Amino acid sequence: MQNDFEPKIIAFCCNWCSYAGADLAGVARLQYPTNIRIIRVMCSNMVHPNLVIDALTKGIDGVIMCGCHIGDCHYIEGNKNAEKRANAITLMLEDFGVEAERFRLEWISASEAPKFAQVMREVVDTIKKLGPSPYCQ
Amino acid sequence: MATVAEEWLNICGGCEVAILDIGEKLLDLLPSLQFVHMPVLMDHKYYGQIGEKTELEIPQADVGMISGGIRNEKEKHVAEEMRKKCGTLIALGSCACFGGIPALANMYELQELYDKVYRGSKSTESNNTPSVDLPPLTDRVYALDEVVKVDLYIPGCPMNPAIIVEALTALLNGKPFSLPERSVCDDCPTKREEKSNFSLKRPLQDADFTPGDYGSLRCFNEQGIICLGPVTKSGCGKPMNGGENVPRCVKGFMPCRGCFGPIRSDANPMVDMMSALSAIGLDAKLVEDRRAMFNRYIGGQKRLRPLPTAGRRE
Repeated sequence: MQNDFEPKIIAFCCNWCSYAGADLAGVARLQYPTNIRIIRVMCSNMVHPNLVIDALTKGIDGVIMCGCHIGDCHYIEGNKNAEKRANAITLMLEDFGVEAERFRLEWISASEAPKFAQVMREVVDTIKKLGPSPYCQ
Repeated sequence: MATVAEEWLNICGGCEVAILDIGEKLLDLLPSLQFVHMPVLMDHKYYGQIGEKTELEIPQADVGMISGGIRNEKEKHVAEEMRKKCGTLIALGSCACFGGIPALANMYELQELYDKVYRGSKSTESNNTPSVDLPPLTDRVYALDEVVKVDLYIPGCPMNPAIIVEALTALLNGKPFSLPERSVCDDCPTKREEKSNFSLKRPLQDADFTPGDYGSLRCFNEQGIICLGPVTKSGCGKPMNGGENVPRCVKGFMPCRGCFGPIRSDANPMVDMMSALSAIGLDAKLVEDRRAMFNRYIGGQKRLRPLPTAGRRE
């Protein structure tokens, strides 16, 4: 059963870097698994912990949050706040009994299409190893 | 004249005391109410007065009030019977609305609880779990609306008498009633400076204030004392006969304990509270027993549950 488990994964991508990176990965026809559902947000800092917790407790198996590299943020320091939030989210996952590996924060710039594809492959691999979210059973 | 049935389930009895606490206003209400069933006040038995009947029976009533959540099968049965016989069903108090204090038990599996209570604790003589002539416990503590449909919620531990009066009056006049979606902070008179320069204090450490002067009191969270005000619905301070609207715990110079429950029914107080703490610069990591602390009164409705990963590791 574990083998044909296809996880559902949400990727929150910031409009200015990571979403453009995902776009470039598509244009360059880089291959990555179809388990990823991309949601475009204006900045990684917009991803409220509630969104991540809600996703993970209501049927999503993994969440990845992508933003610009530190120092490149379109909103000056949105991604610094996003990093703080990511730390808080990890703490909350512990309280909800969800494995910390199901959530990941990654910096991907607009030109890093190969990195985007690589990260998505890694994430899908990790989640496939973990199995379905404890809240999905 | 409206007929009223009241029932208490998994509860301490404080909500019934809160009804009496309505005081003089109760005298204005009483002529339009007729109590047909109320175990705390009158001797009305479930299976006929001498036990001659075979089925649980509660008289028909226009308004039903239930305090307490559901912990065992008997309570579930009574709640279902109440729903059948009552036109409008009111959930009285935090236990009925969200599970209340007893729902803290939802952090553990039932078997773990039995082991702890009857065998594990040091002061207990080890014994079997009693089972004869007792209704079996449900798998977890349920809030009332997880078992039957509830028309009206009056949260609080215990409820604010002014709100009971308002709700009953609205009901008797056929008007809708609900509490506004405001947080305790919206009514709180303490001073806020947006940033904390304290570290977290232990629960019973004193706050800094001049007795009798709310103006001298700085926001509890900013003083490093956990206050659930930011994620708790307001209403507890509503005065009966005019006067100032100060949240009840703050009135006693104590931090809010969160008994009015989440501001919106779909809110996630645990996440919101951690955001609120980090927003003023406190480290949520240091809060003792975080899950229980932030879900103190609201463990029902699946907010508290045994940690799924813990169960999987076994």
